[in-house]
Amino acid sequence: MRAPRALRTAGGALSAAWLVFLLLASVTASWWLPYQADAQDPAHALAGPSASHWLGTDDLGRDVLSRIAAGSWISVGPALLAVIVAFGAGIPLALLAAEHGRWVERGSSRFAELLLALPSIVILLAFVGAVGVHPWAIMTVLGVLLSAPVYRIFLGQAQSLRTRLYVDAARVNGVSSLRVNLRHVLPAMATTIAVQAAQLFAISVLIEAGLAFMGFGPSLPSPSWGGLIAAASQHVYDDPWLMVPTGAVLALTVIAANGLADAVAGGGREAEPAVRRTRGRAAVPAAPAAGGPIDGMLLDVRDLTVAVADGPALVTGVSFALPPGTVLGLVGESGCGKTMTARALPGLLPEGVEVTGGSVWFAGRDLAGLPDKDLRAVRGREIAVISQEPMVALDPMFSVGYQLTQPIRRFRGVGRAEARRIAEQLLREVGITGARRMLRSYPHQLSGGMAQRVCIALALTGSPKLLIADEPTTALDVTVQAEILSLLRALVRTTGLSVIIVSHDPGVVADLCDEVAVMYAGQVVESGTVAEVLGSPSHPYTAALLAANPHVAEGLPVPERLASIPGTVPAPPDWPTGCRFASRCSLATAECAAPVPVTPAHAGGPVVAGPVVAGPVVGGTVVGGTVRCVHPLSSPAPLPVPHHAEPGVSS
Amino acid sequence: MAVYLARRLAFAVVTILAASVVSFLLVHASGGSPGAITAGAGATPAQVAAENHRLGWDQPLVTQYLTWLGHAASGNLGVSLIDGHNIWSDLTARLPVTASIALFATLLSGIFGVLIGVAAAVRGGLADRTVTVGSGVALSLPQFWIGILLVYLIAIKAHLLPATGYVAFSASPSQYLQSLALPVITLAITGTAIIARTTRTGMVSALRQEHIRTLQALGTPPWRIRYVHALRFAAAPVVSVLGIQFIALFGGSVVIEQLFALPGLGQAAQNAIGNNDFPAVQGVVVIATVVVVITNLVLDLALGALDPRVRTA
Repeated sequence: MRAPRALRTAGGALSAAWLVFLLLASVTASWWLPYQADAQDPAHALAGPSASHWLGTDDLGRDVLSRIAAGSWISVGPALLAVIVAFGAGIPLALLAAEHGRWVERGSSRFAELLLALPSIVILLAFVGAVGVHPWAIMTVLGVLLSAPVYRIFLGQAQSLRTRLYVDAARVNGVSSLRVNLRHVLPAMATTIAVQAAQLFAISVLIEAGLAFMGFGPSLPSPSWGGLIAAASQHVYDDPWLMVPTGAVLALTVIAANGLADAVAGGGREAEPAVRRTRGRAAVPAAPAAGGPIDGMLLDVRDLTVAVADGPALVTGVSFALPPGTVLGLVGESGCGKTMTARALPGLLPEGVEVTGGSVWFAGRDLAGLPDKDLRAVRGREIAVISQEPMVALDPMFSVGYQLTQPIRRFRGVGRAEARRIAEQLLREVGITGARRMLRSYPHQLSGGMAQRVCIALALTGSPKLLIADEPTTALDVTVQAEILSLLRALVRTTGLSVIIVSHDPGVVADLCDEVAVMYAGQVVESGTVAEVLGSPSHPYTAALLAANPHVAEGLPVPERLASIPGTVPAPPDWPTGCRFASRCSLATAECAAPVPVTPAHAGGPVVAGPVVAGPVVGGTVVGGTVRCVHPLSSPAPLPVPHHAEPGVSS
Repeated sequence: MAVYLARRLAFAVVTILAASVVSFLLVHASGGSPGAITAGAGATPAQVAAENHRLGWDQPLVTQYLTWLGHAASGNLGVSLIDGHNIWSDLTARLPVTASIALFATLLSGIFGVLIGVAAAVRGGLADRTVTVGSGVALSLPQFWIGILLVYLIAIKAHLLPATGYVAFSASPSQYLQSLALPVITLAITGTAIIARTTRTGMVSALRQEHIRTLQALGTPPWRIRYVHALRFAAAPVVSVLGIQFIALFGGSVVIEQLFALPGLGQAAQNAIGNNDFPAVQGVVVIATVVVVITNLVLDLALGALDPRVRTA
């Protein structure tokens, strides 16, 4: 249940306590009140707080505390009624509209829209004018007016809930619609109902107080809070204190209702925090790897470790290198740290995740130690990134033309017209016909494939040396996938760009890449040329990944061993000290529990010494590389290699 | 676009008609009669009936409504039962007062709310928490209470501004501004709190959008990411809330106009209701609805101009 958890936060507990206290105090007021609410004592009129009158007295010498307590029910009760009416009318209507489809929904939605468009306070006043001052009746009308926003909110919820599978399943199983609503839909909306009810209650209390302040509250002798404040305002010249107690009680009640809503909404957690200010990187990146970069490599990642700040490592001791003009595939299942590795290179890790060790040598510089300001100069100009989700990677508010010309002008220092010409040129390069019209388009008008082409053009605006493509085709239709892949292939051929492709699909890697690094649970388990690694895998994980992959090149038989890998990738905190794949490996033995030796990623790299341990590598003695399997597949079954991969293309 | 506009206009007309029907029915459901008011206290039932006959109250409801509607369409909302004033000219004379308050308060709320909300979202930490708590408290206090507090502090204690009253712009621009200052500040405190919260939430969620990561990956300067792209993304909900604010201020002005003794629409509404001035009640409801409807139309157009997804849909 949500409610008790909400009460565990200080704000939630205090809010609930105040509301309960208020309720009890108002119900029991007649028993403990020191004075009758209308007992006058003209001798002590307008006195401040004292021992006999804790909150002072009003202009007729009546005790303020007693009057506030006596007035609490008439100040809060009608507001409660408004909330009950609003939900009693709004939610059933929303459920009905969600269930009975278009026509009912259209009718009730138009009606709700109409209610929302009416000036509610003025309608409320007209009602007062017509039927007189009856707080309970007035707040019932307010409830009817408020049922429109309630309906709006819950229609959306109910509609999306009804499409959920379990609700569908219940309906197909012949459960009556009332029971479906009571059992499945309403409970799922409980949190939203609680939040909205608390907020509407707060609003209703304020509206009721406002009406009472204007004299449209309960008739005079029975003191509602709004009326008490109105009376106090007459004495703001000679006794301003009189304003304070009632105002404070009213404000506390509203704060408590809102506080309760926040606590319930957060489910006991804090509200969504604002973005933290980007501070520079940690001054001392942990454990810099020994030695400089390998000569002739555009990118040399050495022993890279990425971790959640004050949390587990997500990527440990990853190393690989990339000669200019080659395409490297990072392949592995979801949750293996491929994306984190790729994003770490230009320093684009998500909030709260950072590089804690190792180095990223790029064009002679170690990017891992650079402050954000220097990395910004690298991004776009030297390393560009293509997103996984092209449909949301472009700013929906700006035209394609603006989004392309902006970085072109910044990167190339050209004027508006020239930038537009370059943008058209880039769009043509990524295979968009009608480039001029495309410049005037907005992102929501593009298909996924078109959006990805625009994103690639955007990545090319700074003429980068390295392009990082994170699952560039995963979100696209199969036919479009092939087009985007062949576009990337063409770009590599014509521009000499180096590319890192992150993919869970060995087929894509085989299709496009010269080199491949297979990642599992935050480590590289095997790397080398595509022909070596995918042609004759030595790590059982690579073999299993290939066997589970249905994308087989044409003309080759589907491998008999096509099978899923049992289990899932362990989460970072659960990584064992031994082989991380052991728990899912069909070849695992007792040896696999021992720490695993590593070998250098590429020939010419430093020699390996010592074991790799889970978590950040300590000290400079260990140089990460490939975590070799203790019993590699010595005579691997000849797995089919798609014919695109040409052995020997790479360095 | 033309179809869309036509649909919105049709809905606007329906809304105004609905409001007029509601107020018409409310007036007739009250059980009182205008004759009892114009004939005065102590009038005989025959005199009351005669007055009602003169005012057309004894005709069928539909006839009465259509007659009223016909007049209203030509700008004639009838005369007050109390003082015989023309309701249309009375209300249109009062409109500038309420409109001034609502406009200035919306403007102030917009400026300060956006500044504060952006600061909270971008700076985070203590600034963010202060804004969240501060706006929470501001939203929990009734506006009339804040108003009285301001009267006490600024008018009574510091003698900086007049406590109550209204001076027309044509009479004295400077006194006009002074007379509006306290009511506007009172309303703007609540408004600023709401806009600050909306802006803050909008900015925080905007800065987490995927397209912001694309911009970061291009090395876009942080100021451009925040103040061009994220702010633009957060602008639509802020503008919506500003519109809702403006409408709420028109309604909320009833209380504020009483507090500061301002001769606006709110005061007219209060007088009409307090005196059972039936035609005046109907007139106020209709005028208020027209204001709401026009605001919503302007809001729709503004959102269309702001968001290409709406504009080109």
